[in-house]
Amino acid sequence: MTRAAVPPRPAEPDGPRQVSKFEFNLLRILRFIVGHFPPDQGMQLVRAAVTRPECLSQGAVNLVEDTLSKACVLFLVRQGAWRNDKYLRESMPTAGRVWERIPLDERSLSFSRQVLEFLIWATAEKVNDTKTAWDAAPKTLTPADELFFWRAFDAIRTDPDLLTVFRRKDAFRQNPLCWITCPGDMAEGDELELPDFAPLFQGQPAVLLECLQPHLTLRWIRSERMKGQISDWKRMRQQGRAEFAALQAFLNAAANAKRTDLARFVLRTNAAVFTSEMTPVFWTGGLQGSGPPRLADRLDTQRAALAVPRQMELIEGWQQQALNVGYFDEDYQSSQMWKAEWEAANGNRVAARARITVEMLEPLRGPVGAPPAGGVPPAPTDNSEGSPG
Amino acid sequence: MSRAYRITVKESDTRQLKAGDEICTQLEILEILPPEDMATLLKEELAKRGFEEQDDGTMVRKDGDLTVKIDPCSGEVSVKAETEETVSQEAKRDATGFNDVGPSEKSLRDRVKDQLKADLDKKFEQEQSRLQGKATEKLEKHLTEIQPEISEVVNQVTRDALKQKAQQMGTVKEISEDAESGSLTIKVEV
Repeated sequence: MTRAAVPPRPAEPDGPRQVSKFEFNLLRILRFIVGHFPPDQGMQLVRAAVTRPECLSQGAVNLVEDTLSKACVLFLVRQGAWRNDKYLRESMPTAGRVWERIPLDERSLSFSRQVLEFLIWATAEKVNDTKTAWDAAPKTLTPADELFFWRAFDAIRTDPDLLTVFRRKDAFRQNPLCWITCPGDMAEGDELELPDFAPLFQGQPAVLLECLQPHLTLRWIRSERMKGQISDWKRMRQQGRAEFAALQAFLNAAANAKRTDLARFVLRTNAAVFTSEMTPVFWTGGLQGSGPPRLADRLDTQRAALAVPRQMELIEGWQQQALNVGYFDEDYQSSQMWKAEWEAANGNRVAARARITVEMLEPLRGPVGAPPAGGVPPAPTDNSEGSPG
Repeated sequence: MSRAYRITVKESDTRQLKAGDEICTQLEILEILPPEDMATLLKEELAKRGFEEQDDGTMVRKDGDLTVKIDPCSGEVSVKAETEETVSQEAKRDATGFNDVGPSEKSLRDRVKDQLKADLDKKFEQEQSRLQGKATEKLEKHLTEIQPEISEVVNQVTRDALKQKAQQMGTVKEISEDAESGSLTIKVEV
């Protein structure tokens, strides 16, 4: 465990700080983004315009810094940093809570002026209807900035107008955290511009990913369970394709960086979903009407719906590789850790169930009318009116 | 004095409409022998069933508008249905104009012609949808018909591979096959 001196806190002023109306709105938008202000009111502030001042007061800037530092740390701790968990550090499993595993200088969050400029823009402009441009080049952002911008995107994505504006900005479009939490909201049309996921597995971004594992697991479980309520074929296809592409790119980057521990949320999501034998109807049962006229498009949509179970093939490959790692090989410790993770999630059973479910969609598999391997009965073939084709 | 007149405009068009549908999937072939040997067995079995080898190494069989293509190396199968029709459509519209007010006869005629073009486009779109439905129905029907055959191919390739593997392991003493249950028993002396 590494202990370092706590940085000195600025002296507290006498009485409450005085801020202008603009600064008041800015602080409320900030609190909305970090989850400490009602979302409906926060959204209204983002959609409203206020005259921009020449500059902010020192008091307001101090409050922004204070809110950012406390809220982001509180968020990360609550989402998983408090857990006594095990992650790889220089290829060796290291146990403990995040402040026990990681030195202070590696987990100190540092925000750049991009965050403040974004807040000023969001306060001054009607974000959904403004011609004043704002964007931040991804290369200029710190890991803490990426965390903040991901929280901002997550806060506004339920508003379609704000979502359309935000996802066209590089600060969000090239943010890997946005892509592994809500890929369906990042995609616009059929063309997918995925960011580079490799930086997520180095330095502070990897620490943030460690803290977010439980959050990511819960989020993806919720998303999978809600797929059965999606009625629109086009939306299902778009969401599923984005999920598949993002997860594949993320998992490949994790394997290349030898940080498969940071992909455990994918395994745990599948383990939570596949608690019993499943059919594709769990994901596609909500689709209304007969769908697109072409069979190719209908099949593409149904396959897209199973984007998460389809990741098990890749993860199962990791397990096979881990089984072949010998005692004197370089990755022995990390492979042992992966194998323990796999066994805890009952990976063999989950992988088998996922494979059976995915193959149910494939045409030309197995004899006509016979149940697939594993004894699971086939999905109903007679289409009632209004059911997907 | 204002006089009304009526014009009738007819437009007709003939178009070549094409529609198609395709599915791609993967054969589930166990790697009993090395991939190249499995590919050879698959190629031989497909050749017996009327598939022809192409320049790129894939095996293709055409049944009218339907094409089945199988890549023996990757096991990828694609089944495509295409259909084509020459469709003629006609549309007619009447319009009334006045000789002293409103648009001139020429501009009225041009406007009606534009509307007729839109009417014809709509009619051809409907025909295109009908043709697309026909192609998809053909594909779905063919998939149901071809599935048992593909399963037979996979089973046969698996059987042949098991026999070859057995021969590599030792002396094959006995091979018994039950066509009804699909079981294969090979006794090998090692």
